[in-house]
Amino acid sequence: MRALIRHRGVRKLAVLAVLAAVLVPLAHAKWASGSWPSALTVDLTDPLTDVNDWIIDNRDSHPLFVYFFGHISNAIVLSVRGVYLVLLALGWVGVTAAATLVAWRVAGAKTALTSAVSFALCGLLGMWVPTMQTLALMVVAVALSIAIGGLLGLVGGLSERAFRVLRPVLDTMQVLPAFAYLLPVVLVFGIGVPGAVLATVIYAAPPMARLTALGLRGADAEVLEAVDSLGAGRWQRLVTARLPLARKELLLGVNQTIMMALSMAVIASMIGGGGLGDRVYQALSSVDVGAALAAGIPIVLLAVVLDRTTANAGARSGGTPVAPRWLRGLDGWVVAAALVAGQLADSLTWPKSWTVEIAKPVNDAVDWMTDHLYSGVPAIGGTADWAGHFTSWVLDPLRDGLQGLPWWAALLIVAALAWLIGTWGTALTAVLALAAIGVLGVWDESMNTLSQVLAAVAVTLVIGFATGIAAARSARVERLLRPVLDVFQTMPQFVYLIPVVALFGVGRAPAAAAAIVYALPAVIRITTQGLRQVDQAAIEAARSLGATRGQQLRQVQLPLAKPSLLLAVNQGVVLVLAVVIIGSLVGGGGLGYEVLLGLAQGDLATGLVAGAAIVCLGLMLDRVTQPTGRRARKGA
Amino acid sequence: MNTNDPAQVPGQQSAAPAQVPGKQSAKQPGQAAEATSPHVSTPPASAASAATSVSPVFSVRELWKVFGPRADRIPGSPEAHLPAAELRERTGCTAAVRGVSFDVHQGEVFVVMGLSGSGKSTLVRCLTRLIEPTSGSIGMDGEDVLAMDRTRLRDLRRHRAAMVFQHFGLLPHRSVLDNIAYGLEIQGVRKAQRRARAAEMVAKVGLSGMEHRRPGQLSGGQQQRVGLARALAVDPEVLLFDEPFSALDPLIRRDMQEEVVRLHRDEGRTMVFITHDLSEALRLGSRIALMRDGEIVQLGTPEDIVGAPADDYVRDFVRDVPREQVLTVRRAMRQARDGEAGQGPALAPGATVAEAIEAVARSGGPARVMDAGRCLGVVDHACLLDVVAGLDRAPQPSPDERTDADGSAGRRAGARESAKEDGGADGRANEAPDECADKPAPGGQQPGSDEAVTA
Repeated sequence: MRALIRHRGVRKLAVLAVLAAVLVPLAHAKWASGSWPSALTVDLTDPLTDVNDWIIDNRDSHPLFVYFFGHISNAIVLSVRGVYLVLLALGWVGVTAAATLVAWRVAGAKTALTSAVSFALCGLLGMWVPTMQTLALMVVAVALSIAIGGLLGLVGGLSERAFRVLRPVLDTMQVLPAFAYLLPVVLVFGIGVPGAVLATVIYAAPPMARLTALGLRGADAEVLEAVDSLGAGRWQRLVTARLPLARKELLLGVNQTIMMALSMAVIASMIGGGGLGDRVYQALSSVDVGAALAAGIPIVLLAVVLDRTTANAGARSGGTPVAPRWLRGLDGWVVAAALVAGQLADSLTWPKSWTVEIAKPVNDAVDWMTDHLYSGVPAIGGTADWAGHFTSWVLDPLRDGLQGLPWWAALLIVAALAWLIGTWGTALTAVLALAAIGVLGVWDESMNTLSQVLAAVAVTLVIGFATGIAAARSARVERLLRPVLDVFQTMPQFVYLIPVVALFGVGRAPAAAAAIVYALPAVIRITTQGLRQVDQAAIEAARSLGATRGQQLRQVQLPLAKPSLLLAVNQGVVLVLAVVIIGSLVGGGGLGYEVLLGLAQGDLATGLVAGAAIVCLGLMLDRVTQPTGRRARKGA
Repeated sequence: MNTNDPAQVPGQQSAAPAQVPGKQSAKQPGQAAEATSPHVSTPPASAASAATSVSPVFSVRELWKVFGPRADRIPGSPEAHLPAAELRERTGCTAAVRGVSFDVHQGEVFVVMGLSGSGKSTLVRCLTRLIEPTSGSIGMDGEDVLAMDRTRLRDLRRHRAAMVFQHFGLLPHRSVLDNIAYGLEIQGVRKAQRRARAAEMVAKVGLSGMEHRRPGQLSGGQQQRVGLARALAVDPEVLLFDEPFSALDPLIRRDMQEEVVRLHRDEGRTMVFITHDLSEALRLGSRIALMRDGEIVQLGTPEDIVGAPADDYVRDFVRDVPREQVLTVRRAMRQARDGEAGQGPALAPGATVAEAIEAVARSGGPARVMDAGRCLGVVDHACLLDVVAGLDRAPQPSPDERTDADGSAGRRAGARESAKEDGGADGRANEAPDECADKPAPGGQQPGSDEAVTA
C-alpha cells in the first residue's frame, strides 16, 4: 500500500483527482453538456471569411501582395515552368539516361538499373507527362526546402539559443498532418502551382533543418578542438570540418526532405499542383481504381528511385567511389550530353504506341472482386462485410462514445494519460490543444476523426507489436520483412488510399485500413529495433537462471524495451492521424472532410478552422504519447 | 608543507606570488625558474645553458581555470583552496587548474602528469587558449599569450604550437595525406607545396604507402602517427601532447614513445607532454610536473620525483617504480675512504643504479663515480642495496629542508644535462655524507654549487 502511494504515477493521478474534484462540479453545473458547451466556443468563421474576402479583393492591388507575395509567386511559377520545359526538352531518353547516370554515379549500378526501369515503366503506363510535371514541382520544392532548411539548420547548429527556439517548432511541425498546411497557403497564394510548391516546402523543410542542426551539433568535439588548435578561422572551421563531419546527417536530411516533398507534392495536387497526384485525386473522386493505380504506380516508382539514390549516396559517404571510372570525371557527363543530344531529334515525350493501358483491366479485376470478394464468401465473409462490421461494431460505438463523453471527462482522460507517460508540461499542452479544438467549435468532427485514429492505432499496435516481436526473435522473419518494410516506408501517404478503395470501397473503414497499413512499417521497425537493442547480458542472465522464452520476453525484453515501445506508439499515432485525415478523400469524414469541403466550395473559413483543429489534434495526440526521447519521423 | 593539509595550503600559495614580481623584474637567466612556489623547482642549469638570452618557451604564472558560474571570482578568494567537492557545493564552480606556475625551457620534454581529473588536460589547453584561462599569466617567448588578439592567437596556433590529441582528432573524410596537410592548408599553403611537405612527414612517422587511406582504415597507432605528423608538418616551435598514447595498446604505446624519444633526439623540439602513465612520464620527461586536484604537487626531474617525493601522495605514486632504473649513482654514492678513490671500475655520475649494480657485481668491490677524471665518491654493495630497498629515503623533511632538496635536485638535473660542473661536483663530493643515503642535500644553498651552475 505504501509502495503504491509512493509510486509516482499514483501520485500524479491523485493530484489530478483532487483537481477534478474541485473543477468538475463547477464546470458541470455551469456547462452541462455531452459535447463541448457552445458557450465556450469562439466562432471564427466570420472573421476568417472577412480576411479571405479582403485578400481576394486586394490580391492585385495591395503592396504586400504586389511586391512580396506576387514576386515569390511569379518566381516559383517561372522556375517550375523552366524545369518542366527542360525536362520535356531532354526528352524521355534524356531524362531516363540522366537519372540512370546520376544514380549510377552516386549510388551504384543496382540503383541505376532500378532508376532506368522505373522511368521506363512511368512511360509505359502512359504517365510520362504527369510524371514530369510532378518532377518539375518536386525539383523546385526540394531545392527551396534544402536551401531554407539548410540555412535554418546552420543557424540552429551554430547557435545554442537559436537551436533552443527552433527545435520544438521543428519537432511539432514534423508531427502535423500534411492537410493542415494546405489551407493557410491557399489563403495567401490561392489555388495553383505557387501554393502547391510552398505547401510542399513548409512540409519538407523541417527534416532538413532538424538534421542539419543535429549533424552540426553532433560533431566530434576533439576533432573540432584539433582544428582549432591548428589555428583555423571560423569559416575554415565550418567548411573544412563542421560541414564535412555532418555529411551523413546532411545527406539523410536531403533524403527525408525529398521523400516528404514527394509525399506532399502529391497531396498538393488538391490545391493545383497538377501532375500525378492530380490524376490520382481525380480518379479517386470517381472511384476509378484503374486510373488511380496507373497514376499511383509512377508515384511509388518515383519514391523508390529517389529514396534508393539518395539513401545509398548517404550510406556510401566516405567509402570507395561506386561509379565506373569513366563516369567519375567530366567525361561521363560529356558522354551523357552526347547521348541526350543524339536523341533530341526523336520523339520527346514517350511514344503513344508504347504505352500500356492498365486502367481497364484493373477496373475489370476490381469489378470481379466487387462481385466475388466483397461479401458472401463462405465462412470468412467478404471485404465489404469486414469493413461494414468494423464500422458498425468498432468505429460507430467509439465515435458515439467519444461524442457522448462529457467534455470535461475527455480533458481529464487526456491529462491523465499525458502526465502518466510524459511530464506535466506535455500534459498541459495536450489539454490546452484539446480545449482549443472545443473552442474552435469542431468538437464533434474532431471526435469522429479521433475515433478513427484510436481504432486504427489499436489495430496497428496489436499487429505491429506482434510482428515486431516475431521479427526480433527470428532472423528469418526479419529478413523476409525487411524489403517489404523498405518499400512501404518510402511510399507517400496518398497512394495507400488506392488499394483500400479497391478492397473495401469507400467509407471510414477503408480510411482506417489505409492508416493502419501506412503506420505499420514504422511501428514494426521501431519495435524490432527496440527489442533487439535490449542488453544481451540481461537476457543471458535471465536465460542462465532458467527463464523460458516467454518469461524472457515478458520479464526482460519488454520492460527494457519500454522506451522504444512508447516511441512506436507515438509514431503510430502520428502516422495514423496523417492518413486518417487524408482518408476523407475516400469518405472518411471528420476534420479532413471539412478541409476538403472548404477547398471544394471556396469556403476557406470552414477549411481553416478544420485545419487549425487538425493541428490541435495532432499536437494533442503527439503530446499524450510523447515519451522522453524522440526520433525523426518515419523510421529515420 | 603538506598539501594534504588544507590549512597549510593558503600559506604556500600566498608565498608564491610574493616571489613572482621580484623575479620577473630581475629577468636574469636561471633565476626566473625559482619564482615558482616552494615545491616547484626548475633546473637553473638548463635554463642557463639553454637560454643565455632566450626566455623560457612557456612561462606560466599563477594560472587558474575555474569552470562554473561567475568563475572569475574564485581565484584569490577564500574559497579558492577548498577541496573540489566543497567548492562545488558552495559556489557551483569546479577549479580545474589552481594557481599553477612553471617554465618550459627550450628543447626539453616537459611532462605534466596526474590522474584523470587532476586538471592536466585543461592546463595544456590553456597554453594555446583552446580553453580560456580564468586568471594568471602565460608567456610564450616573452610574449603575453592572454593579451593576444584573435589574429595573433591564430598565428600562434598555426605556426608556433601544435597539438597531438588523445583520440587523434583526425578528419574522417580526408585521406592520410590531406589530414597531415590540413594545418598547412589552414595557413593557406598551396596544394602542391603542402602535399610535398605532408609526404615528407608521412615518411618521417613511418606511414609510407598509406597516404591515400582514410583514418577509419588505420589502426589506433597509425592514426596517432597521422596526428603526430599533422602536428609536425607545420614545423611548430613546441609540440603539445595531450595523453597521446593512452588510447593505444601497450606494445604500440611503447613504439610510439620511442618514436617521440627519437624525434626529440633528432630535432630537439620543445615538447609539453600530458600523461597519466608514470612509466611514460619517467621515460620521456626531462622534467615532470606532478599534478593533483589542479595543483602541481612536485616539479622536478624523474630522479627527484622517485628519489625525493615531495609528500605522501607522490610517494604513493612512485611506490612501484623500479628505483634502480631511475636513480643515479650520484644519489647512491658515499664519500671515498682510504684509497678507494684510486681503484675499482669507473662510473659516470649520471649512470643508473642498475648499471652500477652490474659493475659492482662484476668487480666484486666498490665502484668509483668519476667525472672528468675526478672521483666524486664511491658506491658499494651496501649503498646500492639501500637504494633498491628504498632505505635511502630521507625522513620526512621539514618544509625548509624540502625547498633545499628541490633546489639541489634541480641542480642535479642540470648536471645531468651539462657536463661542465666542476665546482658543483666538487662541492657535492665534499658533502657526500658517510652514510650511503643521500639525505636532502643541503648543498643546494651553498655558494659553491651556485657557481657550478652558472659556470
